[in-house]
Amino acid sequence: MIMTTRRLSMMLIVMLWSVMATAADWPEFLGPRGRGAATDQAIRTRWSEAEGIAWKAELPGRGASSPIVVGDLVVVTASSGARQDQLHILAIDKASGRTVWHRRFWATGRTIAHPTSAVAAGTPASDGKRIVALYSSCDLFAVDLEGRLLWQRNLAVEHPRSGNDIGMGSSPRIVDGTAVVQIDCQGDAFALGVDAATGEDRCIVPREKLASWSSPLPVTTPEHGACVLLQGPHGLDLHRVADGKTVWSWKGDISAIPMTTESGSMLHVPADGIASVSPKEADAKPAWKSTKLSCGIASPLAWGDSIACINRAGVLCIGDVADGRLRGQVRLAGSFWASPILTGATIIAANKEGKTFLISTDGEPKIIAENELPGTFTATPAVADGSVYLRSETALWKVAAP
Amino acid sequence: MRQEAPRAAVWFGLALVAGMSAHATVSAADGPPQNVAEAVAIATDLARAAEPRGQTALAAQADRIAAIPADWIVPCLAALADATPAGGNWLRSGIERAVDRAGDSLSADALTAVVADRKQSARARTLAFGWLKDRNPSRADGLLNGMLDDPALDLRREAVEKQLTAVATADETAQKATHRQCLAAARDIDQIERIAAWLSEHGEKVNVALVLGFVRNWRVSEAFDNAKGVGFAKAYPPEAVLPTRPETVQWKAVASADKHGAIDLNAAIETKKGVLAYAVADVVMPSGGPAEVRIGSPCAVAVWVNGKPAMAHEIYHASEAIDQYVAPAEFREGTNTVMVKCCQNEQTESWAGDWKFQLRICDSIGSPLATQPAQEKVAE
Repeated sequence: MIMTTRRLSMMLIVMLWSVMATAADWPEFLGPRGRGAATDQAIRTRWSEAEGIAWKAELPGRGASSPIVVGDLVVVTASSGARQDQLHILAIDKASGRTVWHRRFWATGRTIAHPTSAVAAGTPASDGKRIVALYSSCDLFAVDLEGRLLWQRNLAVEHPRSGNDIGMGSSPRIVDGTAVVQIDCQGDAFALGVDAATGEDRCIVPREKLASWSSPLPVTTPEHGACVLLQGPHGLDLHRVADGKTVWSWKGDISAIPMTTESGSMLHVPADGIASVSPKEADAKPAWKSTKLSCGIASPLAWGDSIACINRAGVLCIGDVADGRLRGQVRLAGSFWASPILTGATIIAANKEGKTFLISTDGEPKIIAENELPGTFTATPAVADGSVYLRSETALWKVAAP
Repeated sequence: MRQEAPRAAVWFGLALVAGMSAHATVSAADGPPQNVAEAVAIATDLARAAEPRGQTALAAQADRIAAIPADWIVPCLAALADATPAGGNWLRSGIERAVDRAGDSLSADALTAVVADRKQSARARTLAFGWLKDRNPSRADGLLNGMLDDPALDLRREAVEKQLTAVATADETAQKATHRQCLAAARDIDQIERIAAWLSEHGEKVNVALVLGFVRNWRVSEAFDNAKGVGFAKAYPPEAVLPTRPETVQWKAVASADKHGAIDLNAAIETKKGVLAYAVADVVMPSGGPAEVRIGSPCAVAVWVNGKPAMAHEIYHASEAIDQYVAPAEFREGTNTVMVKCCQNEQTESWAGDWKFQLRICDSIGSPLATQPAQEKVAE
């Protein structure tokens, strides 16, 4: 009887975890594996406050982090209080917009951030079983899908000189069971990999003492398996997740905010335009370099044979990912802090002023819709089940599926 | 928000039956505490958590707190008084789940008692106030009347806001009186600035730097080399001979006229890059003991109090804020000497030109403690 019950329970748990894992359809910054282009879902083309909105959830504080979608939950972080020292993780029912649970923590590190950033600037990440959230205070929390605190790392307590008072914008990743955070700053700079289940150290890698706002990028290589790419102002380092070992490096002057992306086993690096380098070659010379493909703050987006960037002037440029040749461009409007993402053949680009552009990538890029919502939008949108999730500084909007 | 009970019941049941996974650490043997004393003991242990290791056990203990009945919540809150940074969050995570489960069965009387008890920690009282406000807003609001001098910063802030709102439609004389009272009570900088601006608009100029307690009278050294940042770790004469002050160094008296007490070293010495300077001030403390040194600077800074190092931050041009860096230091009654080392680097960007700092000495909620001779009045 005991054996039967246990077996049944094990089956239930495995089934539950499987459902959770497969339903985690926008589980981290820039979606699955941080590529921003992993979905092929039809989305609504027109929306506004009065049309096409499934729900709007007011948030308990401000933030620049993106929402993630995990199973039936949309999870978002925020900070509040006169000193922005109240840290929030909010789980919202994907269907109804109702708050399912709401965890609050006290910040243990500094909570100073430039007005264009936020204490809750890093997007949480989930492996379908748990959610990890990193704040500018260098506090890292892991909760399960019921909102139960599993572990925490108060990294500014452990490393007292860590922190970035402009606002630490790096998002955590969960790669191969390891939660990876990148604390790039002028004080105690490091990357840390911890067991995602227990929060205990797996590896720590010292970093150059310079601020950057980049996030670890999961990269898998045949030789080294699961790795993360860490981008700093002076280069890239590819680290094996299992032990933190550096397996490849590339030196160059790189933008401190937009993040390298990967496609076709090449890395496309925002470095005075875009440089395309191979992580297989030591001292790799760029396969191509283009100054016509230039990123402002938003990260580049690569998919299929294409790469897109939004420059500081708000022009979306699309190039050929094989040689960097410019194929077309379209002028958007406003400033872009959120990175563009792709669903189907449509790029979604949300400007800070609340206007979201949908751009067709079939042939010459063309704006097919401009949809406006009130608020300040610096968070990259999320897409799941045909719905677009847009986070303003203080609210989360779900654009209904078509 | 308050629908955790059925989910928790299913969850506990599953974990107990399965006897596996991290959830299964909650077994019948270490399930919900059997009495309030056991709950308080668990809460006390959780609040002391320090090591990043062994957190699975802490999570299980937080689960036990999450399962306590409503009337044990307030006794467990007391453990926040001695909480470590991690421990505070562990305990809060468990207690807030218990609060969600408790819903309206959480006693407003018990919460009121915690809020009113100034011997309880600021965190416990602020949490209790929030829960009371969720359940009985008017009762919570009524408690704010006597909180203008509250040691809990967030409660004091709410009390100030309440007074300002209440007087908004009163005549100007009453408004001025309330704003003056609130100016003395407020500790949050944004609130102080807002009140001071209102008073200034109504004919009462406020010396914000004095309200915030910035140390404004300094003696500034000549410039020393900091090319390539070499000076931050190098002990030039002013720090090499601490606690005495070297006569070989040229010192210049500088008084800040800045609203936020900034000492502009570009103006006081010379606009230079790759240099550093020392600034020394004598401050008078009303009593001896610990206090917080609070400094803000876009430059790399180090601070000594009576010759002992208080803090050092080698960070250049990455934001600037009042109270950016805070460190405890021991002061003696009467005159104390504070020394700042402020380092400028060689960045050439337009936003990297500032070479300055501001400093104040406060208690834990930002009440200024230090004075200097010949201070002017707050309101002129």
